[in-house]
Amino acid sequence: MSRNLSVSFLKYISVRALIFIFTLLVSFSIIFLLLRLMPASIVDALLAGLSQSAQSITPEEYLKLRETLEEIFGLKGSLSELYVKYMYRFFTLDFGPSMIAFPTPVREIILNSLPWTAGLLSFSTIISWITGNMLGTLASFFERSHKNTSRVLQGVAVILYPIPYYIMALVLIFLFAYLIPIFPLAGAFISSSRFTFSLENIYLIIKASTLPALSMILVSALGWWFLSSRALTLNVLSEDYFLYAVIRGLDSGYMARKYVLKNILLPQTTALSLALGGIFNGALLTEIIFAYPGLGFILYKSVVSGDYSTAMGILSLSIIAVAAATFIIDIIYPLIDPRVRHK
Amino acid sequence: MKINLRYSIIIYRKITDIYSTSLKFKIGFLILLALIVVSTTFCLLAPMLAPPNYRSWYSLKKDLPPNLSSLNLILGTTTNGRSVFWALMHAIINSLIMASITALVASHIGLFLGMISGIKGGTVDRLLIFLIDVFIIIPGLPLLVVLTMSLKNVLTIPLLGLIISVIAWTWPARQVRAMVLSLREREHIYIARLSGMNSMNIILSEIFPHIVAWHLINFTNTVLFSISTEAGLAILGLSILSEDTLGTMIYWAQNYSALLRGKTWWIGSPIATLIILFVSLYLISTGLSEYVNPRLRYGVTR
Repeated sequence: MSRNLSVSFLKYISVRALIFIFTLLVSFSIIFLLLRLMPASIVDALLAGLSQSAQSITPEEYLKLRETLEEIFGLKGSLSELYVKYMYRFFTLDFGPSMIAFPTPVREIILNSLPWTAGLLSFSTIISWITGNMLGTLASFFERSHKNTSRVLQGVAVILYPIPYYIMALVLIFLFAYLIPIFPLAGAFISSSRFTFSLENIYLIIKASTLPALSMILVSALGWWFLSSRALTLNVLSEDYFLYAVIRGLDSGYMARKYVLKNILLPQTTALSLALGGIFNGALLTEIIFAYPGLGFILYKSVVSGDYSTAMGILSLSIIAVAAATFIIDIIYPLIDPRVRHK
Repeated sequence: MKINLRYSIIIYRKITDIYSTSLKFKIGFLILLALIVVSTTFCLLAPMLAPPNYRSWYSLKKDLPPNLSSLNLILGTTTNGRSVFWALMHAIINSLIMASITALVASHIGLFLGMISGIKGGTVDRLLIFLIDVFIIIPGLPLLVVLTMSLKNVLTIPLLGLIISVIAWTWPARQVRAMVLSLREREHIYIARLSGMNSMNIILSEIFPHIVAWHLINFTNTVLFSISTEAGLAILGLSILSEDTLGTMIYWAQNYSALLRGKTWWIGSPIATLIILFVSLYLISTGLSEYVNPRLRYGVTR
């Protein structure tokens, strides 16, 4: 019996792993082809700059220069050659030198901006997950005894949830950087990517990250997490076993913990891990609005200026992270939820 | 033709039914209707009431704060000398046109693929779910950034709506598929099949009526998604900057740093309108979900 189970589990994992790899390949190919569409060409931009500053370049020299630049940037070759080349880079996670900041390797650029993004997003994701779920569960669990509080929270959620975080960012900038200037305006803080560990620097970072973090926390904590945990809680509250628990006269704290929390944490944990997988995607617009030096900012800069390698590097990272998060959930889910069987 | 008619009748009946039962839906619907009616009226009247070239820059004095003396100045003017009021009225219409194109295209692609996936099952289902997964994994905004950048010269408002549908169809498809999967095994479908009903009729009269409310939810959410995505693209300067949409209004205000120079009426108008629009659409969508899932309704717990 147990041998059967482990065989089916292995089969399940291997099928999932195959799907995982296949998904990676297909989404990589789509991104590869898509980036081919990028109208901006870094080589053209560089050459235009050169021909402006240099006195005269003969057409032959121009062509040669172009070829050399393309070779350095790894853009030379037919589509299929490039495809194989970038596929290799994708799986080794080494994307060669960047083009906007030549010759800094893409890997170094990513490693420099990753802490900013990961710090901001993991902090705001986790904080909003905790507060949103707590508020949502409590507000619906005690809906009958605290009618007004619950109603106010719901009203706030209904207004906040549909607002995109970047619109919220603009509202917050107006409120806390213009009307009551307690926080710095966008981009007024980080001078270089070199980070030295000092108290003053930490203070600056906190001050600079508060508004970006707040714009995301407000929307996702009081919006999505609040509403989804409320819906899940209401589902539990209308179940027969819960009614039975009420009739048995169980302690309401006990019911909240064992009946409600246990049931809502499962789907919410799944959602949290997916949200955390999306961290490498970066909060593109928040970072741009606040000129925050994270992955999203770099990604945007590289796409606009045609830096193929950097764009590819960041997009690959985000694809891998999301795919891996889904894969891990698929594997773990049957372990934490006995109702789901491996198929 | 006949199918179209039946489809429309089912949707119309559902909407009137929901309208009479859900307060949230009613409020959201009325706000949305008011926005549409007001902006369409003014857009139609624009040739008579607006300054001759409402589109052109510096046709009015720049940076005038709102005053009630004339309709042109009721929301003030911009730094490039345009009437905020007229720009806003056209922006609402343009944004809604764009969003309804996304919603029509994306939610119907989702409906179609979701139904096929759910009904056919097997290999077709697996292929479609794989395709959906791929599109979910690829980060959406960067994808749109590249697409709008490469199509910049030919971009029109309907085309922008179409581009956004490229990433907007996945969620509706998942949703519909899940619903169809649970419906497929129900008794009334078996009975219909055994009594010799053909597949088209089963879909239309036995499956679709159960999905239609979900379809409407997806439709509303796609409208919301499309408007907010356009605003996001516009903030990056990638929307159609020569047209007025809610997003491009924000872009131009940002471009002249209206926020930091205290020209609040300029940047405030599109943002306030966006928020009202979002809340009304969201109320419609929750009204619909509460209709579908009565457990979500307020006060019916236990």
